[in-house]
Amino acid sequence: MMNLLLTFGEHPGWFFVVATLLPLLSFVLILLASALWCAGRAYRNTPGGAALFNLCGGEERGRTAAFVATGAIALAFVFSLVGCIRFSAQQHGFETAIKQHGKALHQIAAKIKETSGEAKEQLEAKARTEEEKLEDQEKRWADARKTNWQGHFDWLRISPKGIVDADSGTVLQLGFKIDSLSAIMFVMVTFIATLIHLFSIGYMSDELQPEVEDHQVHTAHGHLHRRGRFGRFFMYLSLFCFSMLNLVLADNLFQVFLSWELVGVCSYLLIGFYNERQSASNAANKAFITNRIGDAGFILGMLILWTHVGTFNMEELFQRVRAPLNDTHGAVEGVAGRIVRGNLDANNTTKAGQRFTIANDGSDVLLFPHRPSAHYHAIVPRVSDNPKPDQHGSMPYWMLVAAGLGIFLGCVGKSAQFPLQVWLPDAMEGPTPVSALIHAATMVAAGVYLVGRCYPLLTYDALLVIAYTGGITLFVAATIAVVMTDIKKVLAYSTVSQLGYMMLSLGVGGWVAGLFHLVTHAFFKALLFLGSGSVIHGCHHEQEMTKMGGLFPKMKITALTMLAGVLAICGIPLFTGWYSKDAILAQAFGFIYVHPQHLLLFLLPLATAGITAFYMSRMWLMTFTGKPRDEHVFDRAHESPWPMTVPLIVLGVCSVGIAWGWPVWDAEASFLEANVHHAQYPAILADFGHIDYSISEHHGEYWIAAKDEAQNERVFAYRNHHLAGNIAFVLVAIGIVFAGAIYWKRVLDPAEAKEQFPRLHAFLMDKWRFDRLYSVIFVRPCLTVGHWFAAFDLRAIDGVIHAVARSAMWVSKWDGLFDHYIIDGAVNLVGNTIYGMGARLRSVQTGFLRSYVLFLVLAAAGIFLALAYFVRMAMAG
Amino acid sequence: MSENDMLWMSAVVFIPAVFALLLIFVPRGKEDIMRWLSLAGTGLTLGVSIGAFILFYNNVIDFNRGNDPEARQRMSLEFRQSEYDGGGISAPTNSGDWISNYPWIDRFNIKYYLGADGISMPLVLLTTLLSFLAMIASWKIDKFVRGYCMLFLLLETGMLGTFLALDFFLFYIFWELMLLPMYFLIGVWGGPRREYAAIKFFLYTLLGSVFILIALLAFYFTDVRDFAGPRTKAEAVAAAKSDGRIVTENQVEIHSFDLVVLQRVGKAALQKLNDQRVTTSFAAIQAKENLGKLKRDKKATAEDLHNAEAKYQAALNDSGLKKRLEQAFFQPWFQYTMFLFLLIGFAIKVPVFPFHTWLPDAHVEAPTPISMILAGVLLKMGGYGIIRIAYPICPWAGQQLAYFVALFGVINIVYGAFAAMAQSDFKKLVAYSSVSHMGYVLLGIAVWSSPEHAQYWSWGMNGAMFQMIAHGITSAGMFFLVGVIYDRAHHRRLDNFRGLYEPMPLYGGISAIIFFAAMGLPGMCGFVGEFMVVLSTWNYNRIFAVLAALTVVITAAYILWTLQRVFMGENPQYKNYSDVSVREIVCILPLLILSVALGVLPGYLLLNWMEPSVTGLVDTLARFTP
Repeated sequence: MMNLLLTFGEHPGWFFVVATLLPLLSFVLILLASALWCAGRAYRNTPGGAALFNLCGGEERGRTAAFVATGAIALAFVFSLVGCIRFSAQQHGFETAIKQHGKALHQIAAKIKETSGEAKEQLEAKARTEEEKLEDQEKRWADARKTNWQGHFDWLRISPKGIVDADSGTVLQLGFKIDSLSAIMFVMVTFIATLIHLFSIGYMSDELQPEVEDHQVHTAHGHLHRRGRFGRFFMYLSLFCFSMLNLVLADNLFQVFLSWELVGVCSYLLIGFYNERQSASNAANKAFITNRIGDAGFILGMLILWTHVGTFNMEELFQRVRAPLNDTHGAVEGVAGRIVRGNLDANNTTKAGQRFTIANDGSDVLLFPHRPSAHYHAIVPRVSDNPKPDQHGSMPYWMLVAAGLGIFLGCVGKSAQFPLQVWLPDAMEGPTPVSALIHAATMVAAGVYLVGRCYPLLTYDALLVIAYTGGITLFVAATIAVVMTDIKKVLAYSTVSQLGYMMLSLGVGGWVAGLFHLVTHAFFKALLFLGSGSVIHGCHHEQEMTKMGGLFPKMKITALTMLAGVLAICGIPLFTGWYSKDAILAQAFGFIYVHPQHLLLFLLPLATAGITAFYMSRMWLMTFTGKPRDEHVFDRAHESPWPMTVPLIVLGVCSVGIAWGWPVWDAEASFLEANVHHAQYPAILADFGHIDYSISEHHGEYWIAAKDEAQNERVFAYRNHHLAGNIAFVLVAIGIVFAGAIYWKRVLDPAEAKEQFPRLHAFLMDKWRFDRLYSVIFVRPCLTVGHWFAAFDLRAIDGVIHAVARSAMWVSKWDGLFDHYIIDGAVNLVGNTIYGMGARLRSVQTGFLRSYVLFLVLAAAGIFLALAYFVRMAMAG
Repeated sequence: MSENDMLWMSAVVFIPAVFALLLIFVPRGKEDIMRWLSLAGTGLTLGVSIGAFILFYNNVIDFNRGNDPEARQRMSLEFRQSEYDGGGISAPTNSGDWISNYPWIDRFNIKYYLGADGISMPLVLLTTLLSFLAMIASWKIDKFVRGYCMLFLLLETGMLGTFLALDFFLFYIFWELMLLPMYFLIGVWGGPRREYAAIKFFLYTLLGSVFILIALLAFYFTDVRDFAGPRTKAEAVAAAKSDGRIVTENQVEIHSFDLVVLQRVGKAALQKLNDQRVTTSFAAIQAKENLGKLKRDKKATAEDLHNAEAKYQAALNDSGLKKRLEQAFFQPWFQYTMFLFLLIGFAIKVPVFPFHTWLPDAHVEAPTPISMILAGVLLKMGGYGIIRIAYPICPWAGQQLAYFVALFGVINIVYGAFAAMAQSDFKKLVAYSSVSHMGYVLLGIAVWSSPEHAQYWSWGMNGAMFQMIAHGITSAGMFFLVGVIYDRAHHRRLDNFRGLYEPMPLYGGISAIIFFAAMGLPGMCGFVGEFMVVLSTWNYNRIFAVLAALTVVITAAYILWTLQRVFMGENPQYKNYSDVSVREIVCILPLLILSVALGVLPGYLLLNWMEPSVTGLVDTLARFTP
């Protein structure tokens, strides 16, 4: 026990590993118990069977499973929290020290310039000791990262030629690497998951009954009755939590892909939880298959990297694709941290490789060694064709773009971005807690997370595609949300839209803003979904807002907490959304300032901020205010029990304050944002900012130099955060007022608008007709091709074979005598003794056997001819 | 020569046959005894094969020495055979080299020659396991039980012999031995169209066999004396002299069915046809090894080195060798023809488009346990033949035609997946999914590469081997599961099921896991093989990689659609079906465990000890590619 604790002391990264494995343990336990329970159920009248049955939870197994799963995830939360605190403390300690030394060094350097003579020498000596201390701190921090917060092992390894280490592309590893982003993600995921587990205990309590009535499935004898599935629900949740945490934990793309598929399958299982409903099972299939389209892209992206770079480890990939920040001769200035393009001179090839000349529009990308030696040339004129990890190499630029886009396609699928956004709204068929956890807070955000993680692999062209994809998605989804009347569908489209914001932000260089929004969004969107779950539960599974209204007095806690969520997503000042969404808008503003041709990338999110405010207010107002629209629903409505309201309150508090810093009213002071900022890659500053080399060599942290502000998106964004935020706020206010006028005060009638623009309304209700389009261009052609192939087998291939068989039969008839006396006799003998078959069947059989024997004879003749030939050849040889 | 290893390997091969004979003595009507006896036979074979595997593992694999090339070399049959053939092994028993070579028909130099390496061992284990489980699954068969059991056991002997034989002639005998029982098992115990399916299977396979037979004989007519070791040579000389065929030693011609020797000849052909110097004659190999030893030896004098070098050069420049390299075997037309013959012969078994139409029929008509064997083991014999025989013996043609082999692999993958989606018969769907999955095997084998990129080919070949094992497990599982529901519903129409999850939750859960494993979900065995193959493909051909990657969508579509049609929804008609019985659980549980375990720990359970052999094969072939 002591040893175990010591292990944690020495390798605190294991906190996160344990946090990941706990839900897996819970999943395995519940799975085994359910399997044994099922096996024992049939024999529960025998003593042994009864014992097994009771051991596995008996009739109470559902409740036990819920406690195991909730306990596991709560414990995982504790582990994550401890790990996160330890990581932040260590990081803070080292970085403060490094900053102090760097500052001191800077001051000394300034003094040295002013002084001369003996004083200068003294100062220089002082500078050297200071520098040594700085380097020592940096080295210790690097070592600590490596030993404490990283680890991996070989999962599969092949060893061509017995050479193991130097070859690239020989090993698939599993491992973990913690930085402040993954630490925050861990805490966020486990925290929200714990609350949602708790919420589910209340929400899913119907499933505890031995027999559940499903009102949405109609059979010949009324509604469907089935066994409760409380335990199964929590089993799936546990598997999901494991997969999601594993995804965050991973230090390599391969492991991300493993988890990627696993979260997909959990999502599939949970969407199809009410599998008797046709709509649910269709939605589950749709979700998984749509995601697999993205995954195919992901695989291709991985393949390109694997073939050209030879590793899946993200750190190694980044080091190979991006130029190092410094080298022995200071030669990297201008390209440090960037993707270096150039041209290969095919006429200048030696055994060492080809000549590489740097050019901004070059057709190739330079690959750098990931383990540089002490004396290090970052930029070399020669690159190897088949580079080892410690050599310079190159790959075609378009391949790197394709790899980035391939990985992004995976993210498009998972994060429901245009054009693969169609699955997420349908996924609302799953139980509401699932919608909150998987289809709002965590899994769908994984796509954004991965784009953020893989940022250094993305070229400028790929980023632009990402930005536009995000821009289109956020607008399309918001417009659809305006006309939806199902409370969960509104939230689903709002999720798609918000994910679009994050993608756009990453595309325009707002790495911190995008991931910051990911975290804040997780809290308030989980809150909104759980709130809608509470409403649905309170209204006895009524989801249509057209039947709600005036529910505020009946469910005050739900209404108030949801209001906090609505204000947060609208971006009202001091609510979490305000900090993160305004940061995104500011970043987009900075981007279009430098690249005015991409004006749309600012206008779309800006306009959508207003639309968002409108439809979110509409949702809240339609549900909770005004006169009840359906008396029946209203009369039976009630507030939810405590396991459901407690998570709502906790999440409500988080939605208000999770992004606060000091001072609270400073949009730039968010503590959470600062923490995300720690994980930012230098590559982002290289692409969208400016690295001051004179400082960066010594500081470990990279500062934005304000040399050339006009060309610097980040600096501009920083300066104009409030401007962008204020413009957006005006639009948000208009949106809210508009919604209030229509749905609260009801001075305007939405039906009139509907009548005025019937085609637009129908178009939006039809979700921009994506489903129909895909059915025509993908689904039906696939089925048709399948039928063609199957028919080809039956008609063409088998047709030829039958023709051959028939001709053989014909030939065999001709040789009747031989058949009659010898073959039939033999076959009859065999037939009678071994397997007395019916006379009719036997005649069929013999017919074929005849041709078989004929075939054999012909074959033998052929063989003898061939033999004779080869004998001659051999003799001649 | 090692009696101990021979005993183990022969026992694995012949125990089923012995039990088939024992069945004769069971009195008529005692059908349960027959079943138990057959089960004991397959069980004993399984036990012996596991025992053999443990010994093999301990003797041949030395992981304590890490990735030491010498330790890895022991995994190659060629190394162990040349050790034996060069007279390196003096102790006659228990040498632990896991090859055993006995003269059988001296006149034609046919040998009783068995051997195991990382390529054959996993397939042997798969065969014994699946045979055991299929025997359990056969319990409900009550028509001609004695005949069924005897044929079944004979079939097992045939399959195991095929995987362990290293003499081409012996291989061919086992290959044919397995054919006949299969024909009867489908034709007598099958479904309504059993005769048609059986004949189709038989004729298709026989066609393949004829091609293989021609290749086998053609190889025999090559004089391979430069590639056989001293021991084989001495034996041949003695035999020829006693017959009075030759007078002096130099006149001897050696014709051999020895697969390992033929592989060496194949390598020489590869070198010669790639315009390289032929360095793979036995004398040259030995001279080079001596030279290497001397170079490492600090005591060796310059003169020793010089002599050794001269000897090596002499071995390379041997005029007899040069003359014999003009034989038909070393001509392009011969290589092309024989490679195609072998490829077609084995491809029919895989099965490769357009030779695959026997498979859906045979599967649909065969009884459940036979479907398990058919999909689980028989298809693998095709892949095994390509890896063990077609590629190593005709490598030059393999290199030239790799593109087409890979192309057919991709066609299989795509075609099988689409065709599976169109099926409405549960069993036929699973059969077409086999066609699709075996395409990965062909693709993985075919992604030939230059020595600098050998790691990619190695992923492909290893992936192909892994895929064979994984597919053996999942497809046998799927066929068994289809059988389970067929026993209850007495039909297999996918559109008529629905809602089976509610009455049969355990069955539903097991099915979901096995089907997800077949779909290639990470953490399960199907994923590993597919992923390894796809990893290797981009380097070879981008279009193929894109097609193979996109097929995962179609695979997901047909598998999920199947699960939806069978398990989801509700159907009062099946409300009272009983869940899986204990016998059924016993039968499916090992497959269930393996399909998850192999997905979680593919390295420890399989790849680490399979890989040295497979990678060794890739290395030897890639090395001589320009």
